[in-house]
Amino acid sequence: MDWMKIGSAILMIMFLVMIFPRVKHELKHGKKGTQQEWLGALALLGGVALFVWLLMKSV
Amino acid sequence: MQPNQPVIERTTGRTVEINKVLKNTYLLLSATFIFSAIMATISTLMYMPPMTYLICIGIAFLMIWFVLPKTANSSSGLITVFAITGLMGFAIGPLLNAYLALSNGSQIIGTALGGTGIIFFALSGYALMTKKDFSFMGGFLLVGLMIAIVASLANIFLQISGLSLAISAVIILIMSGFILYDTSQMIHRPESANYILMTVSLFLSMFNIFINLLHLLGFANDD
Repeated sequence: MDWMKIGSAILMIMFLVMIFPRVKHELKHGKKGTQQEWLGALALLGGVALFVWLLMKSV
Repeated sequence: MQPNQPVIERTTGRTVEINKVLKNTYLLLSATFIFSAIMATISTLMYMPPMTYLICIGIAFLMIWFVLPKTANSSSGLITVFAITGLMGFAIGPLLNAYLALSNGSQIIGTALGGTGIIFFALSGYALMTKKDFSFMGGFLLVGLMIAIVASLANIFLQISGLSLAISAVIILIMSGFILYDTSQMIHRPESANYILMTVSLFLSMFNIFINLLHLLGFANDD
């Protein structure tokens, strides 16, 4: 099973390397949201969290 | 009336473009899901070994990074999308077999599948109906994803079950954010939203939600 761990680690490191330029670009040039926009988005994600919690309770 | 004419034409043209991207993306997404489900069923029936997951996901990601960007603007992009989604479907066969071995394994898989569908339709439907622009979430989601991957990387060796559950919960929220982000990209920037890339992006979000929901539900089941 050790090579499975090593393989997963290599894949994740590759993922980080591939995603890093996009993260840098998005942080530099990405659109900044207003407080109201963030509250709306966080409320939606809060709804998802609540839904997942309910699913966990149902099984 | 005369000066308004080009504006109306531009608006109509843009609406047609948005509808085209949305229609193509959702049609392709449906087709890839059916194909992926068939591949997952084949993999489950063949009782593939656990290493299948890592190998198939590895090949799928290599295709996403190196093949997809070159083929996304041509008809061969469709073959690439089906290859990627088929591989990802085939990858989860061993995982599904592990859950099916539990007393209520099929219920857990069904709940995870249904839950993923509800999350996708609710969020994508919300973004489509309200037409809100969620592009401001891009940086936050990508940084969150990077942190979650670093934490997952550490947990491969630390093996802390609490951290593993927290990572799963965070990934579900990040992928939910990506569904909002991608859907709003198709509405607000249809000219730059390639339907093949959008399909893969939405597929990855749903795939990750399903896998991590399965993990959380498996834990909640105490098995």
